[in-house]
Amino acid sequence: MSNSESTNGNRWLIGIIVILLVALCGAVCVGGGVLYVLMQPGANPFAQGATPVAPGKQPVPTTRPPATGGKAILRLPGTSDPRTLDPAQVNDTNAGQFVAEIFSGLVTLDQNIKVVPDIAEKWDVSDDRKTYTFYLRKEVKFHDGRPVTAQDFKYSIERVANPATLSPTAENYLGDIVGIKDKLNRRAAEVSGVQVIDDYTLKITIDAPKSYFLAKLTFPTAYVVDKNNVERDGRNWTDKPNGTGPFKLQEYVRSQRMILAKNENYYGDVKPKLDQVQFIFAGGSFMTMYENGDLESVYVTIVDIDRASDPNSPLNKELFLGPSLATGFIVFNTLKPPFDDPKVRLAFAYAMDRQKVIDVVYHKMPMLANTILPPGMPGYVEPANPLAYDPAKAKQLLAESKYAGKLPDITWTTIGAGGSAAQDVQVLVGMLQSNLGARVSIQQTDDASFFNTIDDPTRNPYQMFDVGWSADYVDPQNFLDILFRTGSTQNWANYSNPQMDKLVDQAAVEKDTATRFKLYQQAEQMILADVPVIPLTHSREYWLTKPYVQGMVYPPMIIPRLKYVSIER
Amino acid sequence: MAQQTINAGALKPRAQSPQARFVRRILANLPAALGAVVILLMVFIALFAPFLAPYAYDAQNLNAVEQPPSRAHWFGTDALGRDMFSRILWGARSAVFVILMVTVVDLLLGVPLGAIAGYFGGWADTIIMRTADILFAFPGLLFVFFIAATIKPGIINWAKTIGLGDFARTGYLDYAVVIIALGVIGWAGLARLIRAQVLTVKEREFVIGAHAIGVPTWRVIVRHILPNAFAPIIVAMSMGLGDIALSEGYLSFLGIGLQPPAPSWGNIIAENAGRYWRQFPQMIWLVFIPGLVLAAIVFAFNFFGDGLNEALNPEIVD
Amino acid sequence: MGAFVIRRLVWLPVLLFFISVITFALGLYGPGDPVQVLLGVHANPETVERLRREYGFDQPFYVQYLNYVANALQGNFGYSLVKYRDQPVGKLIADALPVTIQLNLVAIFLGLGIGVPLGLLAGLQRDTWIDLLVRGLVVAGISLPIIFLNPVLTFLFSRRHDFVLAAAQMKFSVGPFLPMVAGHWDGLFSAKIILPAFIESLGIIALMTRQMRAGMIEVLSEDYIRTARAKGLRERVVVVRHAMRNALIPIATILGLMLGGLVAGSFLVENWFGVPGVGALAYDALFSRDYYITMALVLLIAIAYVLSNLLVDLTYGLLDPRIRKA
Repeated sequence: MSNSESTNGNRWLIGIIVILLVALCGAVCVGGGVLYVLMQPGANPFAQGATPVAPGKQPVPTTRPPATGGKAILRLPGTSDPRTLDPAQVNDTNAGQFVAEIFSGLVTLDQNIKVVPDIAEKWDVSDDRKTYTFYLRKEVKFHDGRPVTAQDFKYSIERVANPATLSPTAENYLGDIVGIKDKLNRRAAEVSGVQVIDDYTLKITIDAPKSYFLAKLTFPTAYVVDKNNVERDGRNWTDKPNGTGPFKLQEYVRSQRMILAKNENYYGDVKPKLDQVQFIFAGGSFMTMYENGDLESVYVTIVDIDRASDPNSPLNKELFLGPSLATGFIVFNTLKPPFDDPKVRLAFAYAMDRQKVIDVVYHKMPMLANTILPPGMPGYVEPANPLAYDPAKAKQLLAESKYAGKLPDITWTTIGAGGSAAQDVQVLVGMLQSNLGARVSIQQTDDASFFNTIDDPTRNPYQMFDVGWSADYVDPQNFLDILFRTGSTQNWANYSNPQMDKLVDQAAVEKDTATRFKLYQQAEQMILADVPVIPLTHSREYWLTKPYVQGMVYPPMIIPRLKYVSIER
Repeated sequence: MAQQTINAGALKPRAQSPQARFVRRILANLPAALGAVVILLMVFIALFAPFLAPYAYDAQNLNAVEQPPSRAHWFGTDALGRDMFSRILWGARSAVFVILMVTVVDLLLGVPLGAIAGYFGGWADTIIMRTADILFAFPGLLFVFFIAATIKPGIINWAKTIGLGDFARTGYLDYAVVIIALGVIGWAGLARLIRAQVLTVKEREFVIGAHAIGVPTWRVIVRHILPNAFAPIIVAMSMGLGDIALSEGYLSFLGIGLQPPAPSWGNIIAENAGRYWRQFPQMIWLVFIPGLVLAAIVFAFNFFGDGLNEALNPEIVD
Repeated sequence: MGAFVIRRLVWLPVLLFFISVITFALGLYGPGDPVQVLLGVHANPETVERLRREYGFDQPFYVQYLNYVANALQGNFGYSLVKYRDQPVGKLIADALPVTIQLNLVAIFLGLGIGVPLGLLAGLQRDTWIDLLVRGLVVAGISLPIIFLNPVLTFLFSRRHDFVLAAAQMKFSVGPFLPMVAGHWDGLFSAKIILPAFIESLGIIALMTRQMRAGMIEVLSEDYIRTARAKGLRERVVVVRHAMRNALIPIATILGLMLGGLVAGSFLVENWFGVPGVGALAYDALFSRDYYITMALVLLIAIAYVLSNLLVDLTYGLLDPRIRKA
């Protein structure tokens, strides 16, 4: 052998050894993996009949709580990590549910979503109804023991109005307060409408006598935060929040779990009874965990709804329904043909069997909507003659309309990102086609473009689309005024009815609640008769809860609900 | 020297009878042949789908949802009662159209650019090849999806402004977006290949001769150089077809491309996979079968491409 | 060799510049903006306008781009605007990257461990049924769409399958392997890693098998092999010594390319299996228009690819003296 060959040979021998080692590793990994899986409890593939509770099986319901060493621990599923824990940044219910337990504000909602005092024990309203004077409870403390004063509220509201805070909800919820918008747009350095009278008295002035102001104040944007906490910890201050709510944040491991612990010094009339609440984010199938007894409560999705609704299933006794204050609409752009003709809109309404969609596509989970206001919203009233499915009438109306025989092509725009468009839309389009011969095609678009487009109604090119609206605050104004007043940016249908406008204007400042609701109901009737939108669904939430859990509520709005919950041993 | 083979018999592979060798050769090419048959079948189905499909692809029947395969519905029905067999047949149209158009775009972009880069060298070469480098650096599917999702509303709006609004409705614009996205990424590989071929052919005698007698440049490229580069082009294209088919499936799974209710295999899988992966037996005809169809097509393209490769670049035979 | 390296290194920043501009432009001029997505249908137009202004989305393109680059060079890739509000993008990616790397490591191990021996085998037993079987499996590996494998494999492993062997009067059941499909990610040694890693390894297996087989065939027919045979060396020695070393070279190439490309490849797999890695992050970010995340990811993946390409070229030069001289 020549010299170079032997040195080459040595070098390449190493390479060969490397390859063989890699192959060995591969084999070991595969083998090890298989062994590991086999060793998992309950995963032994050769066990006879001893399988863990797999989806599709009927479990034996657990009626006693697990042993937790005397502590009352509630385990709940977490859909996804909260986007934020900063009350000034919260704009969805997922984040809101945690924030409402850790923080609190002047007023809040009770289990019946009525406005009740919270940190403010009472308030005076001036005669012109534009000034609210809040008298704070004197015993309220932050979690670290520091007493809460009116200055803290002033600080919190100023913080929300500070443009550097980048709060996405400032205008929506605090925009009525005088001076807020000026500070947000850098025209003023301070919010003039919020004044500290003394340590426990706060005066807030709003720009008009709006009856829904207090309802808005229940939202996290108006919660109080601790100035020291925020300024000391900077961007990550919510890692150790010093709040005022019934629970403290004990631990939060992103995407794993969040643990809340009882606030022993909570000021409220209803004290928290649970020692600990655990929100579990990871873990795969929450339904399986609930059935195995690892969770006390779980939400039911469309995959399991049939099983849970079955009266013969033991799960059925644990099923609870909660309305969400939301309505899904089919919206017609009344500026675009053919929907500028109300007869066409009405024809379309009669041509769609909405109940069938709810039965088949949604497995009856939501309620069929025949009104704009959802049930549970004060002022809601069952419709006297709801619009029924009537294809014959639909055809007749179309024939009477000005587009009879020459219905243009229609595009139904919907939000969708994946390869599957909303099935309800597909079904409805099919009905329009078979009942009216209408040529409707579906255009999916991403939500950003969608919202961008519909938020400019006069320039919106969409002919018809579907969109859902959930209540920002518990007041009919949030639906009937915001969505249908002439010129409102959320008036997607470009509906314009001066009489309706007068009604809602009146109702906005009307003092007597009963009269207000009557006005709103009249407005709703007017809108429904003109069919700028067709209400489709009122969504409902379905929850399973273990029988040993008491007091669990499923409110449609963000409220501190865990303080009502206890565990029976 | 190498010619002295001692104990040759012991070291060579086993001797084979002519019949055995023949059978082996057929078997080696059988997948390719089968692949070709499947591809032709798919093209046929794509062309004649409206006549072959027993139902309209969007004919809903809410009283017959999630039916298993039966005489009335050979592949069962989906969540809206639509016939799966018809939908899968129509899905072939989407696949064939996209694959064809993307191939065309790749050829139209890749061949001239590669030829120019190879023939002229210098700045043209640098610019074109560096652009190809940049395109290669982007992470495949992720980037295509990124592009498609980003430019799609822009293209739709632009089409509306220049009066092609109706066109948008029929879904061709959705196709356009996929084709552009895939084409923009795909031409680079072909261009590189062409360039390499052109480089090797450029210096051969007949090219120099053509120059000498005054044949114009473009003619030299088209008539003399490119024909010699054909074989690698064809092989590269046929190997790439499987990838394009797969990408089209993925993109329509993600929602880029043909919009529901118009079916493409990807969006059929998307509609059903998330919902039915746990439900047996619906899983079989709603997810498994469409997936197999897509897989079969990709198989076919890959086998065919492999076979073509072996045929045109024969390896050293015993 | 020195000149070669320098040329490549000079091109690197230019490449990165183009990549970053393209990515940034796409993200910026894409439809809708994160502010809109964040606020959804409840967006107050005043809020939208204010936030756009405060975030700097109304500045001209080059200003925004330069700001972005300046920040990026200091490690600040912006903050997630939608899904994980206020989490720095760098941190999100840093958290997700190890997960994907673990997944891909397992995939590479599986791929090499299965692919290399298979390829060698096929090359040695060329044109026999073993060869055909292996080649068939390889094509299967790269042809089966991920969107098909995901639900099918999950389905297979999440149910109990009952088998009855009438002949042997045996009844047994297999599965369900719940930790493999229903559990949550627990790192390198969790059961959850098996299925996604396997699906990702299929591409590697295919590539490795093909490469080893081709290398083996090519080398087996070369002169010096015939020489070795002629000299009477044992077949085993011939193969081990000469054939495999030359087949090593393409492996280096492929490994390098793969390291850059695998990160992107896990896009669909991670999302389906709930593996919190870079692919899942990208998937979420793309669908929710969280474009700071998307941009950072595309940039980083492109950089990784370019760097690994460079590494491969250098290794190539080391392994094959012929190239070094070029």
